Amino acid sequence: MNPITLIARKEAGELLMSGRGLAWLLALSVIMSVLSLLLVSNTELSLLDNAQVVYMVMGTVTALGALLAVVLGSDAVAGERERGSLMPLLLAPVTPSQIVFGKMGGQVAGWVVMYLLSLPYVWAVGSSGQNLTQAVAYLALFGTPVVLGFGFLGIALSARLRSVRSALLTSLITLMLLASPLLLGPSLRQSAIGKLFDAVNPFSAAVNSFDSVVIDSQPLAMQINRLAISLVWLVLTAVFAIRSVRKMEI
Amino acid sequence: MLVEISKLKLNLGAHAVLRDVNLTLQKGQIYGLLGPNGAGKSTTISVVTGLRAPTSGSVRVLGLDPAADALHLHSRIGVLAEQAGFYDWMSAGDYLLWVARLYQKNLDKPGIARLMGRVGLDGQSPAPIDTYSRGMRQRLGLARALINQPELLILDEPTNGLDPRGRREIHDVLLDLSVNQGVGILLCTHLLDDVDRLCTRIGIIAQGRTLLEGSIADLLSAQRAAVRYRLRVEAGEAAQQLPAEITLLARAGDWWHVEIASHIEPASAWRKLLYSGIRIDEIHREGGGLEELYLAVTEAKEAA
Repeated sequence: MNPITLIARKEAGELLMSGRGLAWLLALSVIMSVLSLLLVSNTELSLLDNAQVVYMVMGTVTALGALLAVVLGSDAVAGERERGSLMPLLLAPVTPSQIVFGKMGGQVAGWVVMYLLSLPYVWAVGSSGQNLTQAVAYLALFGTPVVLGFGFLGIALSARLRSVRSALLTSLITLMLLASPLLLGPSLRQSAIGKLFDAVNPFSAAVNSFDSVVIDSQPLAMQINRLAISLVWLVLTAVFAIRSVRKMEI
Repeated sequence: MLVEISKLKLNLGAHAVLRDVNLTLQKGQIYGLLGPNGAGKSTTISVVTGLRAPTSGSVRVLGLDPAADALHLHSRIGVLAEQAGFYDWMSAGDYLLWVARLYQKNLDKPGIARLMGRVGLDGQSPAPIDTYSRGMRQRLGLARALINQPELLILDEPTNGLDPRGRREIHDVLLDLSVNQGVGILLCTHLLDDVDRLCTRIGIIAQGRTLLEGSIADLLSAQRAAVRYRLRVEAGEAAQQLPAEITLLARAGDWWHVEIASHIEPASAWRKLLYSGIRIDEIHREGGGLEELYLAVTEAKEAA
């Protein structure tokens, strides 16, 4: 069996079969249930329209996915180092790239489970409106590179900073900075700085694409630039992670 | 030659960690790498295993350059690091099966069970590693190091945390690997008793330099370090009759603590002792020559 598959299976097993993984899924379910309940209530009171509610759920799922990715990524190398299991992995006939992509395989499994878990909530808040199918597809298309990019970033920082705590703190700050479009008001986002930030920020690209497709019903052709930003983010973080693991000191 | 290190230097930033390390290890040999804490033993191992590239000097392991051919090298060596970490949520059997697949080895469950039995972990397979004692983790670490049938085994404190029976069992495994299978073993330890029992060749390093390297017999002979023994003699024997080769250090009832210079063949010393009329019931070797040699060399370095 390919080393990437072997490491990925181990990572996925550790995540999904462990108490930590189950606790994460339970927490996600509670957050999504509360959020959905609040949003559906707002829809019933006509405070928000159906499309806006779906858009908010998509942004929240992406943010939670990115949060899971940075937590797992930060532990991926530094955590193994702290537990003494990194050295045997580095001494196995496995390349740094295989270690990184194997670790990422575990994160992909976590993201897939999270995505599947979020679908009933997306359906619950958006079933009575339009664009539900597009919402589900775009959450996968744009959410996946953004989330996995944060996973790669976590792995890179975990390899460079040698401590889970430092890697997690740095990854979380980066996530908060990039996810700030979710918190910015419309006027700030229309300013020059807001526009520049939106133009290069993968998180903005994903959120703006959700907005464009679900609220404004625009086609895929309008999202190519945003998709490119998300993919560039994914590739750059992957390269950063591989270089960091390759240059890592024991 | 399995390992050949010559004039190895390694700088980490501005700090010179290894200044002049030399080491040669042949097939079937057990080599003891000794030195005080912080001497550079673990760093030397990290260079030998290709985890660090040397600043200068020559390093060949199994004929390969470890820094350039790390992947190929890793498939042919086994390493037990000082801090033996595992995936504690797995059972030992599942973990070893996972490691075997990582090494592309087609080991089945009976093969894993045999390997575990070899290091004294029989019947432990279903228990998660989390429940293992330190000694059991050491044994599991050794099983992991043996999983790819390595040509070279690098062991950092392999008998740490083992009880006397466990140590003996691990010694037997290592001797079998070395003598019967021709595996070269680089043993990094502070336990001179392990070195005394297992190694034929040693290297002592301090402050990143090899101070002494060679076969134990030659080094002891060259240093003229004395070897200590504990003898149990017949009650009432008088120590005045001791031959000149044997120095009496202490006496407690029937037990005598004696010292013999390393260049003197112990058998001839005992023969002279018997000829002088002293009847011996038991002879035990105590640390002795190797310990003296180690202390003399490292103390001289510290003084310098």
